[in-house]
Formats: sequence, C-alpha cells, structure tokens
Amino acid sequence: MFVKEWRCEYRTRYALNTLALFAFTTLVVVSFSLGPLGVDRSHGTAVLPVLLWIILLFSVAAGLPRTFVQEEETQTAMALRLSATPSALFCGKLLYNLTLVFALEVLVTPFYLMMTSLEVASPWLFAAVLAAGGYGLAAGSTLVAAIIAQARSKGTLFSVLSFPILLPLLVLAVELTRGATAGDPGGVSLPVLLLYDATITVAGLMLFPAVWNP
Amino acid sequence: MNSPRLQFDQIRRRFGRLSVLQGVSGTVGPGEMMLVTGPNGSGKSTLLRCLAGLLAADGGTIAYQENGTPLDAAERRRRVGVVAPDLAFYAELTVEENLAFFAKLRRVSPARGLDVLGRLALPLDRLAGNLSSGMRQRLRWGFALLHSARLLLLDEPFQNFDAAGERIARELLDEHLAAGGLAVVANPSSLDFLHVATHLDLGR
Amino acid sequence: MKTFFAWLLWLWLALVIVGAFFYAPVAEHFRVPGSSRIVFFHVPMAWTSFLAFIAAAVWSVMYLVRRNPRHDRSAGVAIQIGLLFGVLATVTGAVWAKIEWGAWWNWDPRQTSILASLLFYAAYLALRQSVEEPEKRARLAAVYALLGLVVTPFLFWIVPRITFSLHPDPVVNSSGKVEMDPRIQHVLYASGLGFAALFFWIHNLQCRLEALAERRAALKE
Repeated sequence: MFVKEWRCEYRTRYALNTLALFAFTTLVVVSFSLGPLGVDRSHGTAVLPVLLWIILLFSVAAGLPRTFVQEEETQTAMALRLSATPSALFCGKLLYNLTLVFALEVLVTPFYLMMTSLEVASPWLFAAVLAAGGYGLAAGSTLVAAIIAQARSKGTLFSVLSFPILLPLLVLAVELTRGATAGDPGGVSLPVLLLYDATITVAGLMLFPAVWNP
Repeated sequence: MNSPRLQFDQIRRRFGRLSVLQGVSGTVGPGEMMLVTGPNGSGKSTLLRCLAGLLAADGGTIAYQENGTPLDAAERRRRVGVVAPDLAFYAELTVEENLAFFAKLRRVSPARGLDVLGRLALPLDRLAGNLSSGMRQRLRWGFALLHSARLLLLDEPFQNFDAAGERIARELLDEHLAAGGLAVVANPSSLDFLHVATHLDLGR
Repeated sequence: MKTFFAWLLWLWLALVIVGAFFYAPVAEHFRVPGSSRIVFFHVPMAWTSFLAFIAAAVWSVMYLVRRNPRHDRSAGVAIQIGLLFGVLATVTGAVWAKIEWGAWWNWDPRQTSILASLLFYAAYLALRQSVEEPEKRARLAAVYALLGLVVTPFLFWIVPRITFSLHPDPVVNSSGKVEMDPRIQHVLYASGLGFAALFFWIHNLQCRLEALAERRAALKE
C-alpha cells in the first residue's frame, strides 16, 4: 500500500510540490514579518516556536487531505474498498503521510532556524518534539482526511474539523518546543505527547473502518 | 469445492426523496445467473452496489454464504468480483502494476488476473490512464476475476467491448458459472444469455 | 405524564432562581459579592454543555453499533444543545470575568477549555451540514464525535498546567473539599440538576421536532 502511494506520487510529484511550495511561502512570510521588523530576544523565544508549528500545521492542511480525497475523485476508492482491509489501507496511508510530514519538517526547520536566528538549547528534545508532534499531525490528519473525503467542501472542512482535534497536540508541541529552545521543559512532559500519539493512532485504527465502509 | 448461495430480501434504498429500490428480493444458487434489467434509473446499479457491500441498504437483508458459512458485509465485500462502469484504476500505474497492487492487497497471486488479461489481449505495460474505454473494460474484468471470486456482480459487463472482447468475456462468464459460481448481471437491455436462472425486471 | 414532568421542571427551576437570589448568601471573598450569584447559572450551564458532549458520545457509539438512525439524531441534537449551553456559559463567564477580574477574556484554563469545546461542537455541526446522505452523515458524525471524546481529556490535562488559573479555587474545586457555605452548595447542585433536566427536556422536544420534519419531507414526494 505504502509502496503504491509512493510510486504514484513519484510519477506526478504533485503533493510534494504543493506541500513544499506552501511551506516555503509561509516560511518566507513569517520570517519577513519577524526579521526585518525586528523581534527582540525575549519575545522571540515565546513567539517563534508557535510560528514554526503554525507553518507545519497549515502546510499539512494544504497538502495532506489529498491522500483520501484523490481516491474518491479519481474513483479508485471503489476498487480499494473491494480489495483492501481497512486496517491495511489506514496503515498504508498513515505511513505515507508520516513520511510527507517528516520530509516537510526536515525541509522547513533548518531554514526556519536560520532565518529567525532561533537558537536551540536542547537539540535532542527539539528533535524529539518534532518527531512526536509530526507523528501526531500525520495521524490526526489521516483520519480526518478520510472523513472529509466523503463530504462536500473538502478543503475548508478539513481545517475546521482537524484543528479542534489537533489542538491538544499543538499546545503540547509548542510548549515542549519552547522548552527545548529555552533549555527548560517548564512542566509539560514528552510522555503526554507520546500518549496523545498512541491514543490517536488507536482511535484512528478503530474508527477508520466505520468511516471507510458503509 | 464451496457452494455459494446468495439471498436478498426486501432491499430498500432511497436517495433523498427518490426511492430507488422499494423491496427487491431474489435468490441465486450455485451455477446460476440472475439477470437484472430495467430502464435507466430503475436501481440496477444501486442493487448491485448493495449486494457488493459498497452501499448500505435502508432496509431488507442480504445473506451470502460460501461452503455453508455465512459471510458478513465486510467479508462479502472482499470476496465478490465486480465490474461496474465507475470502477477505475490508478492512471499513473501500468496495467500490470495495477493488477499486482490489488493482488497484493488481496493476498493472492496476480497470475489469474494476468491470465484473464492475456485472453482479453490487453497490453500489460500500458499506463492505465492511457487506455481506451474498451481496454479499460478489459482491465475491469481482470480485476473482477483476480481473486477467483465465487460471486460476480457485473454492471453493464460488455459496455464498450468490441465483438471479440464480448465473446471472450461471455466465455469467462460461462466458465465461471460452469464451475459453480454465482453471477448477478445488470444491463439496461435484455441480452441473450444461456443460463439465466432468474430474471429480475426493475422497470416501472 | 410528560406534562407533569414539564411542570415539575419549571417549578424546580423557578425555585432555583428564587433560591439563587434570596436563599443563598453572597460569597464574601469576591470583589463584587453580589455578582457571585451568577455561579448558580454559569457553572451548571458549563456542566450541562459537557453533559451534552458525553451524551452525544454515548449515542454515537450506540449508532455505530446498532445503526439506528434515532441514535444519530439524538447525538446531533445533543451537540446542538451543548453548543447553546456552552455559548451561554462562555458569555456568562465573560460577564462575570469582566466584573470580577476587569477583563472579558483572560486565557484562564476553564475559559480556554470551554472555548476549545465550542470549536469542536461547531466543527461537528459543520460536518453534519456537509454530508447529504443520511447514512453517511450519521456514520461520519459519530466517528468525529468519538474522536473528539478521545482527544478532550488531553486538553483538560494540559491547559491548567500551562495557563495560570484565575478561577477561584474554593468556588469550583475538583478535589472535593468544598469551602462553600452549605446554602450555596444546595442551590448550586439543585441548579445543576435543574439544568441537566432542562437539557433532556429540550433534547427530547428537539428530537421529536426533527423526526417530524424528516417525515414531512419524506411524505412530500
């Protein structure tokens, strides 16, 4: 399943392009408003982690729903429904989205750090938060994408539906990122983020069959 | 050798205010074919989709069993072979890749499907997006027969076929029935078939 | 029988209102002591809003198991009412906040949590609006409700640890030790019960209304 996704993708390169383009545009806008206009250090550490996650979140919202929406639009969904078990399908899509998100993070973060001159005190924690947070983004988005693929007004609806679900993840990720840049975790623990990831994965696996099949 | 049996009772389905199926029933036994006819919009495709488990009926029951064990909707969905006008494949992959992919999902070898496509003379290395409508229909047959399904649900099975394609497809269908399989065929007009056990006419 | 309960409910709520203003004393440690009376309405509204969410989640599970359209309707209506009560709770809370702390909005954890849940209710209703086919709508909405249920505990866990709480602890204290004047407690819990009953009453009415509307639409063809 996963292999198939990548093969299709490689031939058209649509999702990667959209995602990367969106991410970089947002990145430039953010950096421009912060950089030349100047943000002093104390404000910087508070605000910059948030903006990084906002860039990631919006890029995901722009690029990820395609995985399911496209199946419905090209009508390949019927063949999938007849052939694949829901769990295989979900896992395949999730893996694909995960790689997209991780690729996005790897692409965006270094540029972000450079352009905003943000210094990271605990790089390991920073990387861990990006990994765990990115996973949560992907997992939550995959399930919501499956839901909206069968509804109308898919683009806006995806944002509307996914943000409340991803809100706890974002809050956790931002706080932890803040901690990582400042070198002080500040009372919010990584295990909770991992617990969120686990919960959302289990929920996704259990609820997906109801979404996918009548 | 499993002996499949399909039975459906009082299937109802509406779309908004339009009541498309209003209590349709039927039985199909091993080696039998049910022909469903009716004008456009009479619910043929809807009925087939319900039987395939792709659409939930508003009312009524569908019972399908193989070898005496009844299968629920999820299992039935994966066991049936479907040909339908809106069945589509991945345009960016070749015919062979498409088949291999679906075979892998179903955990079967693609051999049977490739065999069928060979008989239908479909070039395997063509991108699915570049197929003509007739060739797409051949691919659908390959997909339907890939996993040696015991129940075939065929919605306009000879659509877009030239004479040769139709002949081979009829052969495949006859072989399937001769081997004890079931088939439900939906078509706007009543085609000539040899083994029609039941004729369900949804015309008003 | 139904009218008996309706009358009982209205009587109960009337008593609560009277009690809120005359029976219960004023909480002294507030800056504007008289404003503390709002607690008898603001808090039960918030409770009811969450009750609505739980009820909707239960009905969603029941729908997914039984596929009975009535459960889906119940869940949808519950979220509607939950949104209503949530908005009321937020508004009354903001009013109280303005009086007591000087600002309408303070990012206090409870304010934040209820805002997040309002977002969720609205999203759920937006989803219902976007799917026409009843069976699909019911399925997708039920899944989304359950997804929200699964995610909400995290929010409740996180928010207090991040924001500084302006919510007076003695008034709504989750550890159980309530330092409230017993008369305040009486009215508060009575009000809570009353609002919960009100929820179910409105829910029942609205469900019946929607069922009738559906039948009328079906007969129209």
